[in-house]
Amino acid sequence: MQLLKRSAAANSARRVALRAPGSVACFSPAEPITTLAQRGSNQLSLETPQNKAGAAESTGCAEYVLSTLDKVANWARQGSMWPMTFGICPGLLVVQVEMMHMAAARYDQDRLGVVFRASPRQSDIMIVAGTLTNKMAPALRKVYDQMPEPRWVISMGSCANGGGYYHYSYSVVRGCDRIVPVDIYVPGCPPTAEALLYGMLQLQRKMRRSRKTVLWYGDWLVLFSADEHNRYRK
Amino acid sequence: MPSLQRYLRSIYRVGIRAWWRQLQYISDAKSGRFVGQDKFGNKYFENYNAEEEVPGRQRWVDFSQHTYHASQVPPEWHSWISHIRKDPPTEDALMIASQRPWQQPWTENLTGTRGAYKPYNTVAPKIRAWEPKIAPRA
Repeated sequence: MQLLKRSAAANSARRVALRAPGSVACFSPAEPITTLAQRGSNQLSLETPQNKAGAAESTGCAEYVLSTLDKVANWARQGSMWPMTFGICPGLLVVQVEMMHMAAARYDQDRLGVVFRASPRQSDIMIVAGTLTNKMAPALRKVYDQMPEPRWVISMGSCANGGGYYHYSYSVVRGCDRIVPVDIYVPGCPPTAEALLYGMLQLQRKMRRSRKTVLWYGDWLVLFSADEHNRYRK
Repeated sequence: MPSLQRYLRSIYRVGIRAWWRQLQYISDAKSGRFVGQDKFGNKYFENYNAEEEVPGRQRWVDFSQHTYHASQVPPEWHSWISHIRKDPPTEDALMIASQRPWQQPWTENLTGTRGAYKPYNTVAPKIRAWEPKIAPRA
């Protein structure tokens, strides 16, 4: 209960923070709402590496270098997303057809470097399209486990998101996030190809704020000082 | 029809600077009539010359933000850019008349940022997570 109260308070505080002081208009072209929403975020820490105050002299410009490395890695990853399609049940008829539309000429996923792969060992994104049944769940998990790191999951359609139409069925998993960790939920029954492509773009955004080496550096720093560690973990 | 002449003509019309920006953001050289600008600073263009643009590419947007995406286009301009309405919202009489003072300002999709919508629940959870407890051995 305490936790619920706290999260509710945090939510309202977030909404208030996004509102500009004064009145309704929460936007000026000089400071778009995304920069406002970025305050204190991972993305911001990538863009503004800090290494000045309090850092050990021996580490030099480590954070500048590492966040640049992170950005290069993120750029490479977002430019070649290879999804594996896990089309199940009605997905084969409806949701997967939308996925094929995304691959076809109109939305043309190839221009984003998105190429469907049949093998989980060669792909880094899994698109779960369609209802996930209890019988299929172990197979889904096995396929997910076969994918190499780093890996992402897109849950496509309301059936994969939360069971959807089959939510109360005795044989259906109520959302594939009970089996695998999901990064992007694409709503819709079925979602349009446009929506799925937009989901891929949102996943690119998620990839862009990964900062693995900086975090590793923070872990490594803990050997020297606990304060530094806390700063990076924040 | 896209052609080398069209490309060079577009560069000549928009200038080197704008062409460089177009290369970064839309990977093409396009020139056309400046139709309007929304309150976020996105600029909208159109070119209905069949010699220059193929159908589907006749209206386009120049985003003001570096990290752009489709939801930065507000709904009234969305209806123009996807050919739902013929005239831009600055000229469309119906569009102007349907603007209400109590209307909420448009916010782009903040998924993936700290401004993302996070739902919360105020009822007691129905599912209790399994907390493994090891019974002491006899």
